[in-house]
Parts: sequence; structure tokens; C-alpha cells
Amino acid sequence: MIQLENVHYHYQSTPETGALEGINLSIRRDEYILICGGSGSGKTTLGYLFNGLIPHFLDGVLLGVVSFGGVDTRKIPVTDFLRKVGMVLQNTDAQLFNSTVESEIAFGLESLGLTTGDINQRIQWIADTLNIQNLLDRHPTALSGGEKCMVAIAAVLCLDPPMMVLDEPFAHLDWESAGRLREALRDIQRAGKTLVVIEQRIGKLIEDVTRCIILEQGKLLFDGSPEEARPILMKEHLIPCYPALKKSGPRISPPLVSARELCYETNHRQILNAVSFDIRDAETLAILGRNGAGKTTLIKHINGLLHPTAGNIRLMGQKPDARVPAQTASLAGISFQNPNDQFFKTKVRDELQVGLKILGKNVMEGFEDMCSLFGLQDLLDRSPHRLSEGQKKRLALASVAIMHPRLLILDEPTAGQDGRFLEATAHFLASLKALGFTIVMVTHDFEFAAATAERWILLEKGKVIADGPPEELLKDGDLIACFDEGPGHAMPAC
Amino acid sequence: MAPLDPRTKLAFGLLGIFTILITQRPLSLLLEACILLCTLSVNRSAKPLAHALKLTIPMVVLVFAIGLISFDIHVALLLSMRLFNLLTASFVFFRSMRSEEMGDGLRKLGLPYAFTFILTTAMRYVPLMGQKIRLIMDAQRSRGMDMRPRIGNVKNFLALLVPLLVQSFVLAEHLALAMESRGFQMKNRTFRRKYRMLFREYVLLIVSLALFVAFVWWERG
Repeated sequence: MIQLENVHYHYQSTPETGALEGINLSIRRDEYILICGGSGSGKTTLGYLFNGLIPHFLDGVLLGVVSFGGVDTRKIPVTDFLRKVGMVLQNTDAQLFNSTVESEIAFGLESLGLTTGDINQRIQWIADTLNIQNLLDRHPTALSGGEKCMVAIAAVLCLDPPMMVLDEPFAHLDWESAGRLREALRDIQRAGKTLVVIEQRIGKLIEDVTRCIILEQGKLLFDGSPEEARPILMKEHLIPCYPALKKSGPRISPPLVSARELCYETNHRQILNAVSFDIRDAETLAILGRNGAGKTTLIKHINGLLHPTAGNIRLMGQKPDARVPAQTASLAGISFQNPNDQFFKTKVRDELQVGLKILGKNVMEGFEDMCSLFGLQDLLDRSPHRLSEGQKKRLALASVAIMHPRLLILDEPTAGQDGRFLEATAHFLASLKALGFTIVMVTHDFEFAAATAERWILLEKGKVIADGPPEELLKDGDLIACFDEGPGHAMPAC
Repeated sequence: MAPLDPRTKLAFGLLGIFTILITQRPLSLLLEACILLCTLSVNRSAKPLAHALKLTIPMVVLVFAIGLISFDIHVALLLSMRLFNLLTASFVFFRSMRSEEMGDGLRKLGLPYAFTFILTTAMRYVPLMGQKIRLIMDAQRSRGMDMRPRIGNVKNFLALLVPLLVQSFVLAEHLALAMESRGFQMKNRTFRRKYRMLFREYVLLIVSLALFVAFVWWERG
């Protein structure tokens, strides 16, 4: 179907490093292929080659031959690819550019110039197939991550291309949506489509595919059966392998944070419902739950970004918003999911020192230590915006940790990251714990939580359904069931 | 009753705006405000307006204050009421019409598809930008930056602006990729929604135009 012969590609902006180097591979009809590799390994670039965005849309230099059905893709007009290869991009905000789900699905069909009757028929068909009828009138911003992903797939699948490429569709999904997506993809493949999934969250997805391709710094490292791929993925740390957690036992110090019957309601929706807990000095706590369970809303109460509609929360005995922002940040610092929300300086060094300047501290205080802990020494003069995703995440974390807050809160530290980053983050957290930080993380990655946190709080529909050490919570059968769904990471094995 | 054709809605919107712009008497402005508020209660957007007023009222007050200092109470009243009516009229207009409808209406009036597409897509991304602003504000406040709306904090807003701009550029690039891979440039696009101006809409437009001319004549007389 698609054949790549000695393909080299580099982007116009980075001529010195090739995004892809000497790739030879062929994709046959009805295959289900998983393409994996660390961040920056060239996975997405390979995807762009399949659907003609390279060479027709992206500037860069392409050497070698990419052919679709025996014809060089350079000779196929870009508009012809619409019927040949469907692509679901990683950024669903960009992927869904219409104002309702229905017009989103219709867009590609309208491009093809089908009749109105045909278009409406296909919309109904795809909505029935993927079970998204109830979403047709909704605005894309009103959808959950899992729903966005389904709609993006629907908008491409309705064009009936023989092949589909999905770029990291699992990145931000919780275990339940991920399970549903895996099922949908299996059905699509069974219906006779060739599927290529580019993904860093490998977990159970590898059991579904018929072939696995591993890329490493633009080169083909492995191409073969999933069974043979697994040991290589482990060896390359693309499936994370966490160190054993050092336990320090229960804490008896007075609580840093104490919440009592905390409720939060917005737009007539109850997001948090009578949540009570204490966080004590030097604890490592993971707040776990599905997307939309209220995890992020909960941590925003700790530093006063949100105010409870009922109940109360105290940070070191005071209301979180009773202090000025700098003082609050020196007690509880939050590093949110998207590191790009933080960066506004032109150099990594300045970005790191923002917090120290706000606190009026010496800008070199603890600077070297944090740089070496997070491996940022060689990046200090680079622009934060030009770093790789993993490096950005490290910088965002370091720029909050450098203020030495009593409580360090991390929102989804693992989302969209490769196995190597997950391992590295587990190491950072262990080091920070040794330095005496109290750590709270919000995640839906059970394996990561098992490797890094001594206490779990499970949140479901705004309520705490369990609170305690993981080994005790895991005795609960219902909880174990959670592990069996979706492509979570492998359990710690080292 | 069938919904109005987007062209009719656009024409009504324009007529409304022009009417407010040419009104000279405070009493007429008051009447217009009453009509607008009645329309609001009819299409059930009083509550969202109350939300939007939080932003518009300070602007209206500011214009009133400037009018009072620079001219007199008559001018100040006239200017501030006109501004209030204009903002409310635009609000009613945008509430009564989905962005796609507006795009279709403008395309039917002869504007090129690429232009109307840009317009509707820009409106699709307004709520997303709102979300982004909130996320960035939260991220910066969480590391101690004072983002409360105070004079002394003006320089801190660079920390909001830079991430927002950078992310918007990245979004624009990804959006271009997404549009391209869904056939934006294909020539034989189908336009699914068919519009036809009904006889009653023509009558409605003629009557409104006549009323508008009469009003202009009365205002100027």
C-alpha cells in the first residue's frame, strides 16, 4: 500500500539534524501498526509522510521515494490524499475546527463535493457506528478528551479512506476512555481498514496490533512482531521500568493542608462533594481518578485559585487566599499539565529564576542544585519554547520546585510523555522527597502512582471513594478492575 | 415558524446598529434600550447578558465620566446610552445567530468562502482562547505571580501575553495542517445548508427599511 525507500527528511528550521534518516519500510493492506519511539524520534514526521502533508504542505527536504499504490507521493495531488489516507492529529483543538460536531464530520464530506443527502446519511452512519449521536449538536470545547478523540476519528473515518493514521490518540485519555478507544480501533481494523497508531503509551495497545515499528532519533530501530518488540521497548525504556518505592511510613505531624466537607459547584454542576482530607509534612500523595472526576479542581483549592462553595480548606492553618500570591506560592506551588502555559522568558535560566525574584531571594539560591537535579545545566541559554516536550516539562517542574514550597503539587506529570520521561520523573520525585518536599500529584496513571506515592486518594464524581496506602486499596476488587482497562503502562517490574 | 434567512438577520443587525448610531435624542435612545431589553427577555438571553454587562458597564461609566468632564451632562448621557445600546444590540445580534449562519449569510452576499471560513473559525476559537487565558493565569499565579487587576501588576501581564501568543501561533500551524488534511483547498465543495429568502422576509425588510427612513427623517427634522 505504502512503500518507503531510503527516505531522509529534515525540516527547514533544523537542517543540521535529520528528522528521518534512511527509512525503508512497506505497509500492507489490513495491517494494524503501532509506531513508537521516544519524544523527538520522528514518529509524527513519518505520519506526515503517509498522508502527503510531506512533501506537499510542510517545508523541508525529502530524499528517497515514498509511494502510495506504486505512485510517488510527490506526483499525487494533495487533495487526492483525502480519499486515501485519513489523519487524526495529536492536537484535538486544531483537529476540531468547526463549531459543532455535526459540521466537523460534514467538513471533509463537503470537501469531496458529495450531495447533501449523501453527507447527511454518512453523518448518521458514522454517529451510529462510533456511538456519538448524542454529541452531534455539541460545541467542541464542551467535549471531554475521550469524546474529542472519537469525534476526530469520526470526521476522518466518514470519508472512508482505506488507511488511517492516528497521532498519539491516547495521550490525554483516562483508563476508561482509553479502553473504549482501543475497542473502537479494533472494530475499525476488523472492518478492513489499515491502521497506523503513533503512540508513547504502549501498555496494552501492543496486544492489539499486528506489527510494531520502533524509531530512535529518526532511524528505524525495529520493525517486526509485537512479541519481539516488547523486550526491545523495555530495554530502550520506552516501556517504563520504575525503581522500588522507598517507604517512610505514616506521618503524625500537624497537617499542612486540611480540608473539611469541601464542596465546589459551577454552572449548577457539583464538581466536588463533601471532600475531607489532611496532607501532612513529607507525605507523597497521589490523587487518582478519571478525567472530569474533579482532581484538578481539588488542587486549585489548595492554593486559593478556587474558593469552595461550601465547607472549608486551610493551608498551614489559614485560608489559602489570606496571603499574598508570592507567600502562598512559597507554601504550595502547583506545576500544571501544560508547561507552555508558564513560559514567557527568552532563556531557560531567566524562566527558572522568575520564582526566586518574586520571593525576593538571591537568584542563585538553590539554582545549581535544581539545575543538576532536573538535568537542565546544558539548556540554560536556550529558549524554553524550543525545548523538546520532555525538557519543557522538566523546566516547568523545576521552576516551581526552585521556590522550595512546603507542598509541591503536580498536575498530570505523565500525560503525553514517553517511558523515559516517566522513569526520570519518578527519580526526580524520589530525590525531592529525600530533600524533604511534601509531594501531591494528580494523575490517572495507576502504575506511575504506584511507583511514586505512599498514599492514594481516589476521587470519583467529586467524592473521595478511597484514601489510604495503595497496598491496602489494591485489595479492593473493583479497583483492580481499573488496571485491566486501557493501555496503562506495565506494572513496575524492576 | 421557520427561522429567518441569515441575510435577513444580517440586514436587521445592520439596520439596528445604524438606527442607534443616528439617534440624537436621549428619549429615543431610552426607547431603543427598552426595545432591546424586551428582545432579550424574549430570546432568553437576559442571564448571559447580565454576565456580559460586568465587562460593558465599566466601559459605559468611563464614557459617561469622560463626556461629563469634557462636555456636559447632555452629551455624557447621549454618548454613554448610545454605547450601551450598541453593545446590547451587538449582543442580541450574536446571540440570535450561530457563527456558521453568519458565514453562510455573508457568503450568500458574495464574500469568498475562504474569508467567511476565517470568520466562523475565529469565532469557534473564542471560547478556547478564554479557557487558555484562565489556564495561563492559574499557572502563573501558582508560582507566585500577582495577576490581580491592579496598576502595579501591569508588567506581570507579559507572563499572560507571551504564552498566549506562542500557543496561538502553534495552534494556527496545527490548524493549517488539520484543514489541509481534510480537503480545505478542494474546489467542488458542497454547501449543505440551502437558504431561500421567503416572501414574508422581503415584506419584513421593506417595512423595516421604511420605518428606518421615517425615523431618520423624524430625528433630523
